[in-house]
Amino acid sequence: MNMHRRVLTLVALVLASVSAARAQARGPAVLPIADAKARVAVEREIARAEARGLPTQPLIAKAMEGVAKQAPGEQIEAAVASMAKRLEQARTLLAPSTSAAELASGAEALRAGVPAAMLKQVRAAWPVERSVVMPLDVLTELVARKIPAKHALEQITALMRRGATPSQIASLGQAVQADVASGLEPDAALEVRARGVMSLLPSPASVAAGAPRGSGKQ
Amino acid sequence: MLPAAQENSDGVIAGASRALLLACVVAFRAAAQEAGDVRLETGYARVDQKGFRPADAALVAVFWRKPTDRFTLLTSGNLTYARDSLAAAQGVAAFVFPWASREHLRTDVGAAGATFSLHSAGRGGNGNGFLRQHYVADLWGAWGGTAFGLSSRSGNRSQSYAVDIGAWTRWRAIFASASLSRQNSDDFQLLYASGGLSTSGAPTYEFEDWQVVASARRGPHELTGSWTRRHSVAGTDFRAEAVAVAGTLQLSDRLAFLASAGRQLADPVRGLPQADIITASLRLSLGPKPLPVMERATIAEAFLQSEPGGGVELIVRVAAVDSIAVQVAGDFSEWKPVFLEREGDYWVARVALPPGKYHVGVRANLGPWRAPRNLARVRDDFGGESGLIVVP
Repeated sequence: MNMHRRVLTLVALVLASVSAARAQARGPAVLPIADAKARVAVEREIARAEARGLPTQPLIAKAMEGVAKQAPGEQIEAAVASMAKRLEQARTLLAPSTSAAELASGAEALRAGVPAAMLKQVRAAWPVERSVVMPLDVLTELVARKIPAKHALEQITALMRRGATPSQIASLGQAVQADVASGLEPDAALEVRARGVMSLLPSPASVAAGAPRGSGKQ
Repeated sequence: MLPAAQENSDGVIAGASRALLLACVVAFRAAAQEAGDVRLETGYARVDQKGFRPADAALVAVFWRKPTDRFTLLTSGNLTYARDSLAAAQGVAAFVFPWASREHLRTDVGAAGATFSLHSAGRGGNGNGFLRQHYVADLWGAWGGTAFGLSSRSGNRSQSYAVDIGAWTRWRAIFASASLSRQNSDDFQLLYASGGLSTSGAPTYEFEDWQVVASARRGPHELTGSWTRRHSVAGTDFRAEAVAVAGTLQLSDRLAFLASAGRQLADPVRGLPQADIITASLRLSLGPKPLPVMERATIAEAFLQSEPGGGVELIVRVAAVDSIAVQVAGDFSEWKPVFLEREGDYWVARVALPPGKYHVGVRANLGPWRAPRNLARVRDDFGGESGLIVVP
């Protein structure tokens, strides 16, 4: 019975993702926003974003979240417009990165309260060809855990400069989460865990000599 | 105290009480406009005080609960009226602050004002305030608090304070608590109205109360019983025991029947005399469909288990009674709600997540979406929150 339910849930999720992919292909016209005026406004906002070269998936996801949470039409409209603004801001701050995933992560970081200037610092810590999605996501997670943004940024950029891989940076976030769940202060957990990851990395001298252990692009 | 000063202080207390009542009325009007969680209650009470004829009274009450991102505002106003013997009106405003950075901590702070005319304990008003700090774990919790009250009764001003500590635990649908409180007061009129006598020359009297409360909840239905043992510590020689039971039967989504019977011991901080009270009332809930009462910390937990082929399995677990419906949703389901399944004492959902970043929300009985308590929380642009997960 349990297995049966899990299979059904899996099938439902697959169908949902297929339908989302179709929706993305067809554009935002299928957004199930009951308020017709708000739906038109959201569709217009998404079309404008697309014309400006911004990714539309985060905007559609935000609208879907509003629908699921039964938010009023005007609130969904405002949330989508606000997300579009953050995507635009993230594009400026993360330039020359333009990948949809990086812009979405940058916008999310701004929403969580990461100061705009820090996005530039994260971008500058790695070569342009390396995606900063994971460092941004982990920074967002740490800031959402009320760790001072400056402290979180210092730890993450230090790891980036020492050649940590995206997965090592992500595991930092997970380890902090586990520590917090077991009662440790988020700030202290970050300090300890960042040191742990740091100890696995090559010395600054060898990084400077061009021998990074990072596996490259995410 | 000089008569003029006394009248002045009576006026201040009565004025403060009226101001608080007025604030409650304004708040209820605002609540009705915002369609918040508003509850109206009306019913009957039989009030029996030592040395007086039992009084039949009408009860009318309004409650409003307004949750926000940072706190929950609880307000209520109630009126008890019996022709020629009893009339009391009370307004309460309280704030509940969960600590954003300390998941297990919660602070309650509030104030109340009342005006009354009681054949047993005079006419006047009362103003009081309280502060209580809670530690809330999954299946147990503890609190410590203090309260202070000023009463004006037939021209006599009095003040009272109380401190209390307590702990509670929950096992399945049973909730039990034990507490110890001390109450100090110079409201002797209240003591006499409650059957006590003062020790000659004592400026104040003090009670110590031990209380045990047990309640059983099944969905929105609840049955509670309490036992209190009181003895005097100073200023009087007074002992009393009180047993009370109260029940809530939810008749439909919006209508509930409430009944209670038992003894209310004198409460100097709130200016209430001892009485045996029986009540029966109906409660109508307006606004969103009412939720069963659940401590925030028991709403949901999320665990991540690494999968051999990469990604993780997200396990969302909710400790709640089996009579409610619990759903999880997030980016991974395009925000389409997925029902959790019952596993032992928990509601559980398992979702495979490939590497990436996800937002997760959990809700009970179509209520507000909440972040699982152990995840990083971000605001969601819709007045709520989501949990944030980064999968390596």
